[in-house]
Amino acid sequence: MRWQYVLHIIGALVACVGMTMVLPLAWGAYYGDGTAVPLALSMAITILSGALMFFVFRDPVAAKSAMTHREGMAIVALGWFAAGAFGGLPFYLGGTFESVVDCVFESLSGFSTTGSSVLTNIEAVPRGILFWRSLTHWLGGMGIIVLSLAILPFLGVGGMQLYKAEVPGPVPDKLKPRIKDTAMTLWKVYVLFSVIETILLMFGGMDFFDALCHTFGTMATGGFSTKNTSVAAFDSAYIDYVITIFMLIAGVNFSLHYLLLKWRPAAMFKDPEFRVFGVMTAVFIIIITIAVYAGGNYDSVSDSVRYTSFQVAAILTTTGFATADYELWPGITQAILLFCMFVGGCAGSTGGGMKVMRIMLLVKHSYKELFRLIHPRSVNRVKMGKTVVQDDVISGVWGFFILWIGLFVLAAFVVAGTGVDVVTSFAASLACIGNIGPGIGGVGPTDNFAWLPDTAKWVLTFCMVLGRLEIYTVIILFVPEFWRK
Amino acid sequence: MRIIIIGAGEVGFHIAQRLAVENKEVVIIDKSAEALRKIAESSDVQTIRGSGSSPEVLEEAGIMDADIFLAVTDSDEINLIACFFANMLNEKVTKLARIRSGMYTNYKHLLTGEGAGITKIINPDEEVVNSVLRLMSVPGAVEINEFANGKIRLIGINLPEDSPVVGVKLMELRQKIGDELGIVIAALVRDGELIIPSGLNTIQKDDVVYFVCDIREQEEILERLGVPSKPVREVMIIGGGNIGYKLAKALDNKYYHTRLLENRQKRCEFLSERLDRPIVLMGDSTDQDILREENIHDMDMVIAVTGDEETNILTCLLAKSLGAKSTVTRVNNFGYMPLIEPIGIDYVVCPRQSAINSLLHFIRRGKIISTVSIKGEAAEALEVIAHEDSPIIGKKVMDLAFPKGCLVLCFQRGDEVVIPRGDTIIEQQDRLIIISARNNIPKLEKALTTKVEFF
Repeated sequence: MRWQYVLHIIGALVACVGMTMVLPLAWGAYYGDGTAVPLALSMAITILSGALMFFVFRDPVAAKSAMTHREGMAIVALGWFAAGAFGGLPFYLGGTFESVVDCVFESLSGFSTTGSSVLTNIEAVPRGILFWRSLTHWLGGMGIIVLSLAILPFLGVGGMQLYKAEVPGPVPDKLKPRIKDTAMTLWKVYVLFSVIETILLMFGGMDFFDALCHTFGTMATGGFSTKNTSVAAFDSAYIDYVITIFMLIAGVNFSLHYLLLKWRPAAMFKDPEFRVFGVMTAVFIIIITIAVYAGGNYDSVSDSVRYTSFQVAAILTTTGFATADYELWPGITQAILLFCMFVGGCAGSTGGGMKVMRIMLLVKHSYKELFRLIHPRSVNRVKMGKTVVQDDVISGVWGFFILWIGLFVLAAFVVAGTGVDVVTSFAASLACIGNIGPGIGGVGPTDNFAWLPDTAKWVLTFCMVLGRLEIYTVIILFVPEFWRK
Repeated sequence: MRIIIIGAGEVGFHIAQRLAVENKEVVIIDKSAEALRKIAESSDVQTIRGSGSSPEVLEEAGIMDADIFLAVTDSDEINLIACFFANMLNEKVTKLARIRSGMYTNYKHLLTGEGAGITKIINPDEEVVNSVLRLMSVPGAVEINEFANGKIRLIGINLPEDSPVVGVKLMELRQKIGDELGIVIAALVRDGELIIPSGLNTIQKDDVVYFVCDIREQEEILERLGVPSKPVREVMIIGGGNIGYKLAKALDNKYYHTRLLENRQKRCEFLSERLDRPIVLMGDSTDQDILREENIHDMDMVIAVTGDEETNILTCLLAKSLGAKSTVTRVNNFGYMPLIEPIGIDYVVCPRQSAINSLLHFIRRGKIISTVSIKGEAAEALEVIAHEDSPIIGKKVMDLAFPKGCLVLCFQRGDEVVIPRGDTIIEQQDRLIIISARNNIPKLEKALTTKVEFF
């Protein structure tokens, strides 16, 4: 472990994050809402700290040899926490929150695309700050590291280690031979969809600012809105459907989008994970629509379809926007939504949760074990489509599953220990580790996280990063073996 | 530039690694997930699991917009079929194949013609034979490379302790050994570390000195450097495989006294039928009695080229201890390379390294016409022609925008070898020999080809 080197790279990442603050700064200056000064100050502090780290820890000897696994993971995990801390500066200097924990919570909730908020009155916050809040989503969605890989040339050598540590999914795809080009391609696809969605939302009557902020929330599957009542504030079926569709798009592997744009749609529809994701979404929407219509929650079928499809997409892709209070819906619908919270989006998407691919692998592997009990001599490999999945990938997925559930429960215990009721503790922990946003109980779609005790907020902040970086990258820092020479 | 490599074995691995460092787009195809994972972890390349001879896999790898296609699996047949399909799918791609078996290489014209359309066939065994022959031609050299169609040589040599140039500053070197001789020191290897020197560096005891000279002056220079030059005549080749046989064949003349030791009866018969003067011996190479019987202590050079590298190494050590003057060993595994010198073996030849050299030579198209690696892979010597549109023409050598650690060693102008001074002006059609540390190659390439520097 070359600490100098790790800090050197983290410095570059922090400086990168600082650069992006120029966007909210432009909004702040444009609106003249008094956020220009705190944003400029945050930007200066962030860039200077990053540059300082970058230059102080420069080590020409270390830069020559390749980055190891360990260093890659340390850089990504610590880099994310650093980004979260510096990303909280605008909230702190802008006077949005009094306490440090709230600033960091909000910032990391943004970067990790969770969308859980500790803001009680969103509309009272100046637009410059709100823009930064949404922008953190967009940056974190495709990934700070992936962005840095695309723009920082010197990361190329150890790039794969960093890429693997940040990109969701058991086996990351490499679209192009070079990691820089892969990162660039993913960002291009991401930007393209974002532009389309912004335009479509503006057609629906949103102003440019709202359209952009909601696009950031959608494409990153984040969930921060600029309205107190989230997307429901616009009360437009058109906007609901546009957001629904783009949430689902964001929940699909971006490699598939790339192939689609290269006009190879067959690749998308043959992809087993995409199929399961599609079928699952459709089935859940149908069941819930029937349940809410039969339960009398909505008067017309069209309303039922509109609200349920939005909510299924929002929860399954772990976006967490709200147009309806699903806590008023029948029990079965809430059970299904709860299941969706565990599953999350596809591997390689911006969604959170455990990922459809992993659930599929676990189910297939479990079935294989059952099959072996019936045919003890059978030789049988787990396949995704036509590709055989290597055994080490499967054991990795099992490890992930156990750690995910274990840490989710552990976090829930700690939150409950701070005096929060049991349903809320479990829901809050799940909402954060799954990067969803709202949960049920005290942190449901109509509530927020502001009232939780500080300790609970710290734990949940940590959970959000755990979930976004898919456990291993972060938790490895807590394994004593990692620190041994 | 997109490069597709079939086979992630030792050759594929190293080429991919080298090219990825130089910012090329590299896609590597192999059947073994293990091999692919190894390469994906160490370099920035895309990996595809599958058979390189399958057109479907080739399409997936993007053969349509590839520039170079390398087939370097261990199987000649797979390499051939892969090239064949690559040719069908994209005729324009440059196809290089590693092919070893004599039954194919004897028909090179068929392979490079219409059918498979292979641009170049790389035969590592042949390259090894050539490098052994070169080593024999300069006794005492650790490495010899040729440029300008063999007119200029880059020679690496262990200076004897009593050499007159030890302790001499490089800028004074030419006065010391005579100003009329053209010699440039390209690099010094000191304690395993490669130094690209300036005039202020001093030659020290135990340095390996790499220098460039005109081949016509080579012997004179070696003499003045104090290198004893007793020609090699008594040779023992150990291992009568493909390489051993080819080597013996090349030494099958009046000048050399060659013995060829092989432990398989059948193979010995085969060899003795085809060889005239070399003596074919049957026996085990680690058997001291045979070695003594054949006067091993009189041998100028013992060359161990069996397929088993451990045997080669041990045999060489044994031969050395029994009094052989110098030893050459064939090693395949790159992991052993750093060991060879310390344990007392004089020279290494490595078919894979040779294959890598000739492949890289070919890949650096454009202005650079030839490259060789020196000291494993720490530096490369490049041969460049200054074409009319090149930005370096008309500039003084000292004004060239070359990165640090690059040195213009010499150039060939017409038939003459010119040793440049700082104010020498580069003319059209000059062939420059440049040495560069490996990590500066991309910058150097850029300086040679583009007129505008972006950074």
